[in-house]
Amino acid sequence: MKRIRLSPLLFRRIHKWVGLILGIQFLLWALSGSMMALLDKDAVGGHDMPAEHALPLPTQTSLIAPAALSASAPISGLALRTLAGRPVYELRTANGIRIVDAIDGRPLTIDATMARAVAASANQAPVRQVERLAKPNLEAREHKGAMWRVDFADAANSSAYVAADTGRLLVMRGDTWRMWDFFWMLHNMDYVSRASFNHPLIIVVAFGVLWLSGTGFYLLFKSFNRVDFRWLRRRRRVVAKPVG
Amino acid sequence: MARTIRWPLVARRFHKWLALLVGVQVVLWTLTGFYMVVVHIDTIHGDHLVRAASARAVDLRGIAPPSRILAARADVSELRLQHHLDRPVWRAETPDGAALFDARSGQPLPRPTEADIRALARRAYAGTGDIVSVRLLTRAPQEMQARKPPFWQVEFAGWNRPTFYLSPATGELISRRHNLWRIFDFAWMLHIMDYDARTDVNNPLLRVATWSAFAMAASGAWLLIWAFPRRKKKKKKEEAAI
Repeated sequence: MKRIRLSPLLFRRIHKWVGLILGIQFLLWALSGSMMALLDKDAVGGHDMPAEHALPLPTQTSLIAPAALSASAPISGLALRTLAGRPVYELRTANGIRIVDAIDGRPLTIDATMARAVAASANQAPVRQVERLAKPNLEAREHKGAMWRVDFADAANSSAYVAADTGRLLVMRGDTWRMWDFFWMLHNMDYVSRASFNHPLIIVVAFGVLWLSGTGFYLLFKSFNRVDFRWLRRRRRVVAKPVG
Repeated sequence: MARTIRWPLVARRFHKWLALLVGVQVVLWTLTGFYMVVVHIDTIHGDHLVRAASARAVDLRGIAPPSRILAARADVSELRLQHHLDRPVWRAETPDGAALFDARSGQPLPRPTEADIRALARRAYAGTGDIVSVRLLTRAPQEMQARKPPFWQVEFAGWNRPTFYLSPATGELISRRHNLWRIFDFAWMLHIMDYDARTDVNNPLLRVATWSAFAMAASGAWLLIWAFPRRKKKKKKEEAAI
């Protein structure tokens, strides 16, 4: 059996074979990385959703007192906030979240009209359609529970996602984000949920690609000789020569 | 005179000169990328450092009506009933940040003292180490990124130097940092090549480097065509020659 020698040939072989097997993913990492660097991060948006323009609560209107709120189950949380411009109480109980009008105590449900009004506070474009989702889709994967999707007829094809229980604006997505998210999927190799970059597949491939880059870096020192840099010296000589 | 172009040579030249240009950065990308995929992001975020707050039943009797607080402060966008060191409080969200009011009297609460901050940090911390230092910072350290100071910095004992940042107005936990996060942040800086703010993923240096790396990878793929000589065919040719 031939002895394996630590020679440039061995490194070249590793570089070739890892390149053959994992090269396509390296190419995809370079491509998706390039595209994500190219897509303007402000147009991509969506990461830190500046929630709906925080409207101040009314100071003059008389609101019903918290003690007057009736609940079937013990309350574990209470908030006074605005929902599509009107003050509401958000009650958290073991049975879920209830929204109550803070002026007249009327219980409110987040229906399509309400979702549309909430979404309109963040986007003035005309609404194309409103759809209820029982579960979050890929675009709203960072959130939980049922939600409304409000599609706008604007240049970015924006979609606003509004929580069906609280009526809060969850996230706004547009075409730039959608394109970014495709390349992000190629980058994180989580082709189904696009959310994780800590799964076994990417760890194994990343480990393999370390060998590709490591051997490649080593081979840089073996692939150049003085002849390669002759043009540099020649130019210097030309510059050094006195004119005329 | 027409010269035949030797494509393997062209591809090889392309590949090695581009590699000379971005080789160091490619090594850094693969190393930092490997760190980021190996250490789970939940660990990086420090989820394990924070004890989950248990939901407590709220007694609405004797709670001051919110209108009393809204009359005192005009720019409140949300009022939330919470517990602050075992006492019910209204937390008011305003454009200038959050403020606390006693939920029974409706009076504004004084800012938490250093002793309060210690107690709050101690409660939120899921680890066992002791508090090493508590400081009120008026200038943001690098690890607080774009967060606006002032804030309390509470450091705990431990190999990974867990550090909590708490709001001076409400005493709530703003950020948690630890050494694995700090390494991640450094790796992220190298990965996106923004050596100042560590946030700009669209900087020109990164754009040039990523496309160069793409061209290098593509020329490498091109080289693969000639990298594995087909021995069988050669043999057949040789046989034919004989």
